[in-house]
Amino acid sequence: MKLRIVLVLLVAAGLAILESVIPHLLHLKAARPDLLLIVVLYLALRDDVVQGAALSAAAGYLSDLTSATPAFLYTFLAVLTFVVVRTAGSALRTEGGVQSAAVAFGASLGHSLVAALVFGSFTGAGFHLELSPLLWSAFGTAAAAPAVFAILRRLDAGFLHGEEAPGGMR
Amino acid sequence: MHSIFKRFREPIFVIALLAVPFSIFFVKAKKGRELSGLDRAVIFVIAPVEKTITLAAFGVIDAWNGYIGLRNVREENVLLRREALKARQLEQQSAELRLENERLRHLLDFVDKQGEGRVMIARVVAVGASPHSHTLRIARGADDGVVKGAPVIAPDGVVGIVSQLTGSYADVQLIVSPLSALPAISQRTRSRSTVKGTGDISRCKLTYALRTDDLQEGDLLITAGGPGFFPQGLPVGRVVKVEKKPHGLFLDADVIPAVDFSRLDEVGVVVGFPSTLMPPAAGASQANARPGGEP
Repeated sequence: MKLRIVLVLLVAAGLAILESVIPHLLHLKAARPDLLLIVVLYLALRDDVVQGAALSAAAGYLSDLTSATPAFLYTFLAVLTFVVVRTAGSALRTEGGVQSAAVAFGASLGHSLVAALVFGSFTGAGFHLELSPLLWSAFGTAAAAPAVFAILRRLDAGFLHGEEAPGGMR
Repeated sequence: MHSIFKRFREPIFVIALLAVPFSIFFVKAKKGRELSGLDRAVIFVIAPVEKTITLAAFGVIDAWNGYIGLRNVREENVLLRREALKARQLEQQSAELRLENERLRHLLDFVDKQGEGRVMIARVVAVGASPHSHTLRIARGADDGVVKGAPVIAPDGVVGIVSQLTGSYADVQLIVSPLSALPAISQRTRSRSTVKGTGDISRCKLTYALRTDDLQEGDLLITAGGPGFFPQGLPVGRVVKVEKKPHGLFLDADVIPAVDFSRLDEVGVVVGFPSTLMPPAAGASQANARPGGEP
């Protein structure tokens, strides 16, 4: 299980690097997927609570490091997203690509809204919500979700042979 | 006690994971971010990978343009093809070098025109990982003399300020970040205002522009300068969507940034300018900018 934790962290770090390099290389202004949010969604729907929450915090921390926002905003939001999605987990299905994309789209919108609200409320910057980038980002996240889910599923499949699946497999 | 903890282990752990980051965020929300040892260690590992990927990708693109794109020519006569290939390769290489030369000369000319401080060229290696972040990562850091709060500029205009840095890398908070605000003046009317980030990468908001000012669409805004801010006279953006309400002190307008942040390969970091001597909460200081230059 420790190896799985390390591998999930490595995947998250790899996705964080992709997230910061690809938009630069492709000169993307909008439609930037939130890859680490997809990792949090996967963990919320498929991991056990303690391990999933801790890994979500780690994924949020990676976002924090390059966001130039006050420390731990995205760490907090990642754990919050984990809790909300975990709570709603029984109503969410992500077996198919379309389903995971739909869940990622909704989660991205919700995450962006809460991020803007928390950021604006506590930094004194005020509440700024730009609908267009928010929607583009949600579309990008939705488009990337099936691929990220597939990577993480494949990673978990390797552990299914040797030991029990991580908690809450659906 | 132990059994209670064991029984409620999961909720206690999750609540702690929510409470601890939120508490730190709450306490530090209005202060500039200081990188911890762990932050530096993670950036120390990640940033070189980002830099390597970026450089490798640009190398592949150059190779594609310089060689692979010419492969179709091989279907022609062998001798002619070889000659043409050699000629084209040389031409491509020289064109690439010429473009790079022009770009760097343009940047250096621009650098030479900056009176105050020294401008250091820095390569952009990545952008903020989160789609909601408005940062660039550059391959210059504290070891090169960059300090927190240092203005970052491009030939087209203002880019942002250094918000956090390690020895070899720095993150630049763009002027479109909601935390950013900088005093500006209209080049045409000389009226003062503040350009505030909105979170939209292609648009800022104009605040504190007096309703009586004769601001018009297309007016160029330049930095107002002053202690603690950008050097004076750098292009910030152009005014659009001017709305003069029938009441109130100020008018509403948007500003299209002069710089296309998605197409920056190199930027200039102003080193030694007075603003770079500001305390760590430089971002907050700029963010609280008011017309007239008082932070």
